[in-house]
Amino acid sequence: MWHKISWRLLRHELKRGELTIMAAAIVLSVTAVLSLSLFTERLQTGLLARSAEFLAADRVLSSRRTIDHEWVEQAQEYDLQTANRVVFNSMAFANDELALVDIKAVSDGYPLRGELRTALEPFGEETTAEGLPGAGEAWVAAALFQELNLQVGDQIEIGETRFNVTRVLTYEPDVGFSVFTDSPNVLINYNELEQTGLIQPGSRVRYNILYAGEVAQLESYYEWLLPQLNDDTHNWRSIEDGDSPLARSLKRAERFMLLASLLGVVLAATAVAVAAQRYCQRNYDVVAIFKTLGADKAQIQRIFILHLLLLTVISIAVGLALGWVLQAQVIEFVAAQLGAELPAAGIKPYILASATGLVSAVMFTLYPLLRLISIPPLRVLNRQLTGTDKLRWLHWVASAGTIYALLLIYSQQWLLSTALFAGGSVAAVLLLLVGRVFIRASRQAGMQAGSAWRLAMAGLQRRAQENSVQMLSFSTAIMLLLLVLALRNELLDDWQRQLPDDAPNYFIVNVAPDDVGELRDRFAERDIVSNDMYPVVPGRMTAVNGVPVRDEVTKEAGGDEANTQTNNAEQREGFGRELSLTWRDDLPPNNTIVAGDWWGEAPQPQVSVEAEVAERMNLSVGDQLEFNIGGNTFEVPITSIREVNWGTLQPNFFMIFNTATLEDFPATFISSFNLPRERQSELYELFKPFPQVSLIDLDAIMDQLREVIEQVSIAIAFVLVLVLIAGILVLLAQVQASMEERQKELVILRTLGAPAKLLSRSVTYEFVILGAISGLIATLAMELSLWILQTQVFEMGATLHWRFWLVGPVAGALVVGTLGRLACNRLVRRNTAQLIRKLA
Amino acid sequence: MLIQTTQLEKKVTTQDGILHILQPIDLSIKEGETVAIVGASGSGKSTLLALLAGLDLASGGDVSIDNVKLSDLDEEQRAKVRADKIGFIFQSFLLIPSLTALENVMLPAELAGHKNAEQQARDLLTKVGLAERLTHYPNQLSGGEQQRVAIARAFIGTPKILFADEPTGNLDATTGHKVEDLLFQMNEESGTTLVMVTHDAELANRCQRVLRMDAGRLAEVTRDVA
Repeated sequence: MWHKISWRLLRHELKRGELTIMAAAIVLSVTAVLSLSLFTERLQTGLLARSAEFLAADRVLSSRRTIDHEWVEQAQEYDLQTANRVVFNSMAFANDELALVDIKAVSDGYPLRGELRTALEPFGEETTAEGLPGAGEAWVAAALFQELNLQVGDQIEIGETRFNVTRVLTYEPDVGFSVFTDSPNVLINYNELEQTGLIQPGSRVRYNILYAGEVAQLESYYEWLLPQLNDDTHNWRSIEDGDSPLARSLKRAERFMLLASLLGVVLAATAVAVAAQRYCQRNYDVVAIFKTLGADKAQIQRIFILHLLLLTVISIAVGLALGWVLQAQVIEFVAAQLGAELPAAGIKPYILASATGLVSAVMFTLYPLLRLISIPPLRVLNRQLTGTDKLRWLHWVASAGTIYALLLIYSQQWLLSTALFAGGSVAAVLLLLVGRVFIRASRQAGMQAGSAWRLAMAGLQRRAQENSVQMLSFSTAIMLLLLVLALRNELLDDWQRQLPDDAPNYFIVNVAPDDVGELRDRFAERDIVSNDMYPVVPGRMTAVNGVPVRDEVTKEAGGDEANTQTNNAEQREGFGRELSLTWRDDLPPNNTIVAGDWWGEAPQPQVSVEAEVAERMNLSVGDQLEFNIGGNTFEVPITSIREVNWGTLQPNFFMIFNTATLEDFPATFISSFNLPRERQSELYELFKPFPQVSLIDLDAIMDQLREVIEQVSIAIAFVLVLVLIAGILVLLAQVQASMEERQKELVILRTLGAPAKLLSRSVTYEFVILGAISGLIATLAMELSLWILQTQVFEMGATLHWRFWLVGPVAGALVVGTLGRLACNRLVRRNTAQLIRKLA
Repeated sequence: MLIQTTQLEKKVTTQDGILHILQPIDLSIKEGETVAIVGASGSGKSTLLALLAGLDLASGGDVSIDNVKLSDLDEEQRAKVRADKIGFIFQSFLLIPSLTALENVMLPAELAGHKNAEQQARDLLTKVGLAERLTHYPNQLSGGEQQRVAIARAFIGTPKILFADEPTGNLDATTGHKVEDLLFQMNEESGTTLVMVTHDAELANRCQRVLRMDAGRLAEVTRDVA
């Protein structure tokens, strides 16, 4: 019988709109979590797929030795596509000219992600290549055409083989960002590799297997592969591991979305908490009547638990439907904007969303429900009676535990959740205290004011306890909103700074020292924005503090496996390749010294090391590094460690020396510059006098980067809107709840003849003050959290947001005041008799 | 005796010391009797009613209903007693706002597990003249109608005792009289024992016995029955 009563109550209450706020809160939490996680997952898969182009694959295994063929066969067992890529340096001859080139031999299927583009002449119109160079063919980068005086159709000699140059290689997806350390590329077919005879034991060769396929398959394959990998020779990579500006942007965007979603979830949960309290309060009388009519506790428990569960389940179902529709709409919009399909998501977001709705509904209602069930029947005669208050601690434990659990479930990051939670708790306590002080202060100020204001102030003061709790939820909502808004602006600005319209889109390498001046003049003449010219001296780092570093397999070691294995454990892992070394008097832009001092013009030999390299190789200021440049070996102390912003498209270096140390070595110069696409035709004229200079076109890479950032920006706007809705719902639920508390007082004042205008004004003022104070506190808390987030999570510089100091309080006063006024108007509009009866 | 109290008292501790709301009361009410408890506001009428109905616990002494001592029962058992033997009518009606008139009346019978709750409720509502209002919610009914629904609810499950707390206190005179008539008529038909708290002397006089509360003391009022 009890289930009938339960269902009946629910049906009528739903119809009569009495459960709207509670249902809306649950619906919103589910909608928010579902649409956010669906959208993020789909977008991320989409983004990863796009960015996978930078690897030409989803995953890459690279090795210094040939890779066991069995590993490739095994990959096919896992339904993965594979391709071989072998990269090495060699000399290429053509037309009696000689150049150092990167040979890239690739097998069928390459590139597994992205596309190759070629042209029929240097700087000619490019088209997507179908297939690969055939037998005896080579596709050659444009830069080499200048260097070797090549024409399409010429022959180029590599090792023991001659290749016909059939196309100009204009775009390779996996060309990477380390362009200025590489030589121009020659692409040949993997099957031709053996004929060249260039690969001998001890050759410096990178063997790669490219993989593409489903994430799950890739992961299981990796699990199979992992035990067989050797840390020294093998390296497994995905695009997220990279150090490219794209990987960084992606990571940052991912963190932002995660964080914003978390805040959205917390907001939605707060709305559920506020609504749950009210849901139970409005049933106090009902329970007292039930008990008077002879219902026992078990019956009441069952009736209300079922009631709540039904409500929750229905709300979750609505939330799921709504969430799905919402993300489908957004995805469609995003897809239309980008002209790309986004892959479908799995079942996980649905489970996550349902769990969020269920957990928050159950946990936040736990204590109010216990209280509800303990309402004494005597309440029918004495309306002041409420249930037991002894278990209040349970409420805090359950609510706090739930929020923490939600953070943890959603982020699956222990540290982030704990940090957010701990910060939030401290902020909550502070907010409560500050709120009280503000209310007391505003009371003083209000004494001089007119009557509606005075009434408002008196109200504020009288309900100081409730108000400071209310203010907590107002402030939390406003703070989270401001936080997401500010963070979004920061991120977008940061990306904009990284990729300004005049960001360099060409790199030039191999500039002879004699040409530097003239090239600079030509740039100036044509009004071309360029970076400084950096000298480059190729060299190897051979020892740290007298201990040789473990480096490439040397000829002497003969490539013998056993020899490398016996290397001294104390030896450090070297770079495995030649480094581009440079010298400078002043610290380059976007570099910051984190240890030691910059030298200025000091003549003693010294070197400055990039921070991540220093960390990886365990180097610190004072260590002696040994370098070998063209057979000359010398030692130099580290005098500073630098942090480098790799996001900028300027030449960046791991090792920078002071001028006196390197200037006598033969060097070439590199730089980057911006030339708008429509002026591309000027390139030929510009570089005609410098045939040996190689030009690297970054436009394609930058376009890809811009597109990805655009996608992410849309995603962020979407997240913002959802968080906004969640915030407003919290405010609404809170205003509604507090209105119920005020009702009695309003009725008395109304009965005593207070004009409706005075009442609604005084209530509005009260909410305006509450909103303004909450807004102010929120801004303060937002600034603090943002500072922590920017410096700790996003690794950006911290800034103050003066705008928000105005926006916070004003928006708070406006929104909370408006909501308060609307709620109050409804109340005041009813006639007094109706109100008295409602309260009787 | 259907209701019997021995030295029933209620005290509460306040900041100024112990406050005696009810001085020890000995009272017997026979089956089928109609009893009015009158007195000024704050004299302790409602407290006595709450104790008699087992809604509240006494500080001393005892209440027995049908020879069962309420002080020996726990909250659950007292609820069972109410479900089986007691009906209520309140000044503020206390209908459940989200249930229709019919569902409000059915509620006690359903809670007690009766099978034909709906038919009983229909019959009762017809009897109180609300056959046309079955599906109306309390806020769609006038005060008099709401109290009639409450009366129908009180009689479902044929209780032995009906407790009424100022049943016409919220109604205008004309409506109040109609509701009184209905209450007494139904009470007579079912032979229920009626215990009513009121400060309406006229209404009290319709009962067989009138008890007066004065500062927590109860005294029988002897009347000249005209």
